[in-house]
Amino acid sequence: MKDDGVLFHAKHAYMPNFLGYCGPDDRGRILEDLQDHRKDEALVSTLRQFEAAFPFLRLIARSTGRDVFDYSVPEAYWIGNGLLERVPKEDFYNFSHRELRGKDPREVRKAFKGAGRTAIPHHTFYVMSTYATSSVADGPSLSNTGAKKVTSLMDDCRISWGKVRRVDGKALLVEYSPVELVDGSIGFGKPRTKRVAYDSAVRPFGEVKKGDEVSMHWNFACEVLTERQVRNLSRFTSQDIDATNRILGSYSRRG
Amino acid sequence: MCIARVGKVVSMDGGKAEVEFFDGRSLDRVDVSMVGASKGSYVEVFGNLALSQLTPGEARRRRSAWTEIRRAAAAP
Repeated sequence: MKDDGVLFHAKHAYMPNFLGYCGPDDRGRILEDLQDHRKDEALVSTLRQFEAAFPFLRLIARSTGRDVFDYSVPEAYWIGNGLLERVPKEDFYNFSHRELRGKDPREVRKAFKGAGRTAIPHHTFYVMSTYATSSVADGPSLSNTGAKKVTSLMDDCRISWGKVRRVDGKALLVEYSPVELVDGSIGFGKPRTKRVAYDSAVRPFGEVKKGDEVSMHWNFACEVLTERQVRNLSRFTSQDIDATNRILGSYSRRG
Repeated sequence: MCIARVGKVVSMDGGKAEVEFFDGRSLDRVDVSMVGASKGSYVEVFGNLALSQLTPGEARRRRSAWTEIRRAAAAP
């Protein structure tokens, strides 16, 4: 097992677990391990209990011949890299039916029918397609009156990224491009700044500085990204947006 | 990482609800305003937002699937 992959995964899984949205009910534990830079079997066991994230890692690892916590595997899932394109679409489709069994099979079919070959096992695609295919009283979530609410949550739930403008106590002021809904389609809005929490005890945030690019999940700064990772996250997020718009378009074509 | 979870609304406070999920855990301040849920309703929750309301039969079916996914996640 490549240890860095465990911590990289934990950094991105921490905040939704802390908020109670997924994973086991021991909310402070992951952060303690991150602060201590401790990557032991107990942390691995905790991470294995995430009902969606861990099965996605298993899929990517199985399809590409990697260890599930090889750094490249969680990196593919959260950020995006070339491994995503090596996961056969049929594997992803079958996985979504058989291993993501908490999901409604009708929603899975809608997502794949709409997105076609642009569907990838990337966290942001999972987030956006779930919001786009869940039915409410008057149709897909993104075309109803709750659209602003949905896109705001989608923006918090995806992995976003931005440039640090100021390091301010326990928060970073980050400039980033939000995901917004315009005329029934989602896309990137104008850049703006927002404050996100971070923990200076989690490496390498003790040395985070103005100009660094960071990944963010639920308004928590997860990792300082390399230029390659920023390019990949931008590229694969754009692909996810395109896929989601195809899903939304498939509703409107159906009338 | 979030997952879409199905649970039952056990109390309401305006447009916010406490939802009890099938694994016994609960989440308060779930926004149910988009789905018009009330106490006793079954809802699908993603993050802290209810995206859809389910019939009791559909909820039972999803509960069964949820049990399987928990079992699979716990497997070595």
